[in-house]
Amino acid sequence: MSTIQRTPVLTLGILSLMAMGMASCGGDPNSPGMEYMPDMYRSPAVEAYVDYGQDPYYFTEDTARVQRDRPSAKLPPEGTIAFAEDPTKVAFHMPYPYANTNEGYEAAGLGLKSPIAMTEATVAQGKVIYDKFCDHCHGAKGEGDGSVVNNGGHPPPGSYTTVLKNIPEGKIFHVITYGKGMMGAHASQLDKEERWLVVQYVKYLQNGGRMTSEAAGDSTALATTPNPAVN
Amino acid sequence: MAQAQPEDKATYDQGAKLFKGNCASCHKVDKDMVGPALQGARARWEGKGDIHEWVKNSSAYIKTGNSYAKEIFDKWKGSVMTAQALSNEEIDAILYFADNQAAPVAEKPAAGAPVATAPRTTSNWPWLVVIALLLLVVGLSLSGVKRSLSNAVREAEGQEPLPDRGILHGLGQWAWKNKIFASIIGLFIVVFLTLKMWDAAWVIGVYGGEEVEHYKPEQPILFNHTLHAGKADKGNLAIDCQYCHSGAEKSRHAGIPSTNVCMNCHKAVDTGRNTGTTEIAKIYAAVGWDPDKQEYTGKQEPVRWVKVHNLPDHAYFNHSQHVAVGKLECQECHGPIDEQMDVAEQWAPLTMGWCIECHNTKEVKMAGNGYYDEVMARLEDSDMGHEELKKYLEDDKISVKELGGWECAKCHY
Repeated sequence: MSTIQRTPVLTLGILSLMAMGMASCGGDPNSPGMEYMPDMYRSPAVEAYVDYGQDPYYFTEDTARVQRDRPSAKLPPEGTIAFAEDPTKVAFHMPYPYANTNEGYEAAGLGLKSPIAMTEATVAQGKVIYDKFCDHCHGAKGEGDGSVVNNGGHPPPGSYTTVLKNIPEGKIFHVITYGKGMMGAHASQLDKEERWLVVQYVKYLQNGGRMTSEAAGDSTALATTPNPAVN
Repeated sequence: MAQAQPEDKATYDQGAKLFKGNCASCHKVDKDMVGPALQGARARWEGKGDIHEWVKNSSAYIKTGNSYAKEIFDKWKGSVMTAQALSNEEIDAILYFADNQAAPVAEKPAAGAPVATAPRTTSNWPWLVVIALLLLVVGLSLSGVKRSLSNAVREAEGQEPLPDRGILHGLGQWAWKNKIFASIIGLFIVVFLTLKMWDAAWVIGVYGGEEVEHYKPEQPILFNHTLHAGKADKGNLAIDCQYCHSGAEKSRHAGIPSTNVCMNCHKAVDTGRNTGTTEIAKIYAAVGWDPDKQEYTGKQEPVRWVKVHNLPDHAYFNHSQHVAVGKLECQECHGPIDEQMDVAEQWAPLTMGWCIECHNTKEVKMAGNGYYDEVMARLEDSDMGHEELKKYLEDDKISVKELGGWECAKCHY
């Protein structure tokens, strides 16, 4: 006696569910949407920054949950020395011998010397890195007037032309590596060679935008042609 | 202590200038930072020692055996204050400034601060479809109920129940009577659905570009790209993209910055321009920083950022090839992320068509580029190479395609 039309009700119910599914894919900026063949998106070989937990139907939901809780970006094991493709640069990959203490800071100031001789080329390379990694706090001329200080209310770092004028290169390198005071460590962003190149440019700024005297001895012409980008 | 107008304006201004240049990187006037707050420092030192000598060279002054100097040194966990080449008068001026600093005026938001996000325009037709279908279901159920009831009445009256003919049956009968009309409508419906499906199939797995709504997931921390990377003259911080995404030039991945990079600035900046302390407190919780004690607690909890650009595993992409060798600007693929993107979104479609279109048209910047110097040297080494080069230069440029940028195995292997 059941005369209620089951079939169309069921069909339409399913259709409306499908429409809801489509709506959730199309309108939600939080949803990565549909994929063709998810197993081609995430290979079994583990890659950095791939959230394998996004794929609960390829693995199971339980596996996916475990994977979701496992960070894919990891620190290298302690004591790791990066592989040097260029054998002349092996020295840059060696561990840094000075400790992150006041004594280490002083010792670096006395004992640590740049392995890179200052030339116009190294200063130019240093400037490229300085503009990306230092400029926004220390300012274009190193006077502590970068945009983060001016617009962001960060306390101003000391100027390379006054309070930090005579700080030796070893200490500069030490501070980039470990940080000091309000400045954080930049070792995770800059490798040792890049840090030494930045040191070159900081020395150049300390010297008022000129090559330092020992470098100027090699090429006097450079000392008289100040970098137009700095002055 | 906070006065509207200091009595000795000249000394105050001199002190303010010296404070900014010499002290402000580690000291605040009214709050402890790397070193103690300078307000009241002179009073604290009263009768305990010589504050001038202490400022000029703190390590040397500790060696004289002053007990208060030792106490301060221990309290600040042994961080040494840089020796200051200042005269007694200058130190007095700084302390005068610190003791007389006027209460800070409420900070006005900088001109051109990022505007509020424009309301998202989401299409609502799928919901209309859902509502229409639900109404249809309700209507059909009601008609079913009505027929059952009238059948029950007929049964009670001793009549035969009405023949059970569903709506489909009725529809079929109608279509049979109006064959031409029904077939035309049917044809239209089929063609319409096919076209819709065809279009929809092209944007499966496409989350950026002009044709679809950009994938813009909510992130665990409301990081504002425009504020951090936007231009300084618009009141933004103008931090280079690579300061945080420092892998872009060296690695396949641009990289998500670890929280120590956030802390390079947020150790000092604990209040955001738009969100106050709530969002920055999330960084502190993640990295394990106690802003009151100004020290790390060691309790860390990784931030669960949501990945925005998901390239399938079967397509190889390398940031360093495009940034260091190709010298592309980030914005060429990621859009105006520094101008109008508070929350990161997938701007480009990242389809293969989009990739090879750029490889086909983009001119390779050959000059002064070590990678292409080698390519050029090889081309110029032989007559065949010369011929090839001439062919490449027919349109006055060398495209990525001409150097092999359309080879399947460049990206699929």
